[in-house]
Amino acid sequence: MESGLSSLLSVSIDFETSHLFFPRIIHWILAGLFALILVTKVAPFMAAVKRGERKLPIVGEARDSFRFFGTLVLIVAYFYLMAVVGNMFPYTGYGFLFVSMGFVLLMAFLYMHEWTKKAVITAVITAIVAPSLAWFVLAKLFKITLP
Amino acid sequence: MEFLSLLDITFFLLAGLGALVGIIFGAIPGMTATMAVAVCLPLTYALGLNHGLALLLGLYVGGISGGMVPAVLLNIPGTPSSITTTFDGYPMAQKGEGEKALRVSVIASVVGGLISAAVLFFFAPVLADFSIKFSYVEKFLIIFLALTVIASLSSNMLVGIFSGVIGIWLSLVGVYSTSDGGNGKTRLMFDAMEPYLYEGFSLLPVLIGIFGISTILLEAEKGVKRDIAGERVKLGKGNSGFSLSIFKGRMTNLVRSSFIGTFVGMLPGVGGSAASVLAYTQEKNLSKDSSQMGKGAPQGLIASESANNALTGGALIPLLSLGIPGDSTTAVLIGAFTLQGIQVGPLFIPENVNTWYVMMTALIFANIVMFFLMFYAIKHIAKVVMVPKHLLFPIIVMMCVVGAYAINYGIMFDVWTLLIFGVLGYVIQKVGLEVAPLIIGFILGSQAEIYFVKSLESFGTFSIFFTKSPIAMVLWALIVASVVFSIVVGMKTRAKQKMELSQVAGSTQVKPGKDRDQNSR
Repeated sequence: MESGLSSLLSVSIDFETSHLFFPRIIHWILAGLFALILVTKVAPFMAAVKRGERKLPIVGEARDSFRFFGTLVLIVAYFYLMAVVGNMFPYTGYGFLFVSMGFVLLMAFLYMHEWTKKAVITAVITAIVAPSLAWFVLAKLFKITLP
Repeated sequence: MEFLSLLDITFFLLAGLGALVGIIFGAIPGMTATMAVAVCLPLTYALGLNHGLALLLGLYVGGISGGMVPAVLLNIPGTPSSITTTFDGYPMAQKGEGEKALRVSVIASVVGGLISAAVLFFFAPVLADFSIKFSYVEKFLIIFLALTVIASLSSNMLVGIFSGVIGIWLSLVGVYSTSDGGNGKTRLMFDAMEPYLYEGFSLLPVLIGIFGISTILLEAEKGVKRDIAGERVKLGKGNSGFSLSIFKGRMTNLVRSSFIGTFVGMLPGVGGSAASVLAYTQEKNLSKDSSQMGKGAPQGLIASESANNALTGGALIPLLSLGIPGDSTTAVLIGAFTLQGIQVGPLFIPENVNTWYVMMTALIFANIVMFFLMFYAIKHIAKVVMVPKHLLFPIIVMMCVVGAYAINYGIMFDVWTLLIFGVLGYVIQKVGLEVAPLIIGFILGSQAEIYFVKSLESFGTFSIFFTKSPIAMVLWALIVASVVFSIVVGMKTRAKQKMELSQVAGSTQVKPGKDRDQNSR
């Protein structure tokens, strides 16, 4: 009995595949937990959704789609253009500086609720000053690499 | 006293600046201490270890404290750990005692912060000394225990464990490094991703993405409303009516809550809200007269604020002695240490005695600066809650980019990692998974693998995890205890607490992101 148990527990790890040993265990645990959650949480939740008591997260909820997707689009464009402009002026950080200015301005406009003259002017000033300040302090004073 | 030579005027200025910026971050609803530390990380790249630590610890202390401002004045917890501050703070503000409430909170905060710093100072070296003798087996079990504790204390144990395991999975992406005794092969990705993901995801972009970008996405989804539009900040006029006599007969409460906060802070991954809720309910149960609590009693503020500031010292204990972060903010601090080439763990304190003293100095100094800033300048700081988000958010995204890009000296993929984990963090919070266990799992996952595989390679049997040493058995007992604790007691108290809290919070407007309590402070 004793030897049976110890042979059950004994394990030898092949060095060649040792990088897969732990991930495989994690996969099994993940699968097991997921199944448990499916049964105990997701199934009752879906039933409640069907009865109309609860709403599906993300797809079923009300959201400010314009601002949400606008944010995603702006961030993707920001990251992409930063690298593009940055490659035109390598090792200067100009890619960060100029693209950030545009990004800050557009995002401020995107989130602005009351379009007053004062609000627009503050947004423009912020869009010019904040990236310049960050660029100056980080790239010039601290010599940190920027795109 | 060699470390005194490491302290200069810049050091104190940075700690003070950190506290100020932290307070501002904490005071803006939706911005947390974790975010303050994550966003300001790029500044530390160029600062060197001691100056960087001064800034970051200042941010940490300030960020946790700042949350009291909107909690009292607007009934919105600035950081989730201030949730119980709203219960008594807002009623006081409505009675025109806003400034009095804030001053009581400030004093409670500084006492909580200093008590936990003292516990940290005496306890962390002892714990580190003890854990130095740990072999791979015990180290693995410690991590396992940490993950069990996180899971057992998260609002739903199953979901907590699941989130933690996802974090571990994410940490395994990339190479099984030969420097850790692995075989240098990559896993969990396609060959085409190898140029980007060979080293796996970098810690800091992951953290900044999850805490920075996903917060922005969650706010954008709600339309970036100004919660404070039309609300008047009620500070009270003239004489604030504050005097130290409020604390008379409240010392037990103050000290008890501080220790509760410190202890909860030590438990890995447990949110700040847990500490203040626990301290608050304890005061309610144990005090002679709790009838006024929830209607504007200073004793509630004292319990809540001393507990949430005591987290700072508590959360640093497992970080500095075991290398396990006590909360999400200290998780970001691990990143800062790695950046400076320092490995936190049992050897940290013995090998870096001077850094250890420097950290303690920064922590205590930050608490003192926080006290003076908030006690005397509270009227001006209170205006911060009015900063328009449409200006603030783009700047935060910009700072996140700098942090991610500069971490590995200019790798654009790290910036994209920000977005990937920003979106992932958003989805995770939307479907009800928990961020804190996931992050801790991500940080500890790769170490857990190494300790686990090494133990099995050298002993060749799973039974070694049970029989290696008495310490291993004690750890197993603790693991079992934490699971049993959460199953048995958790169910009972949760039902009871829910009832109590819903009574107390009846008049309280709780932020929609309440689910995120555990994740961010």
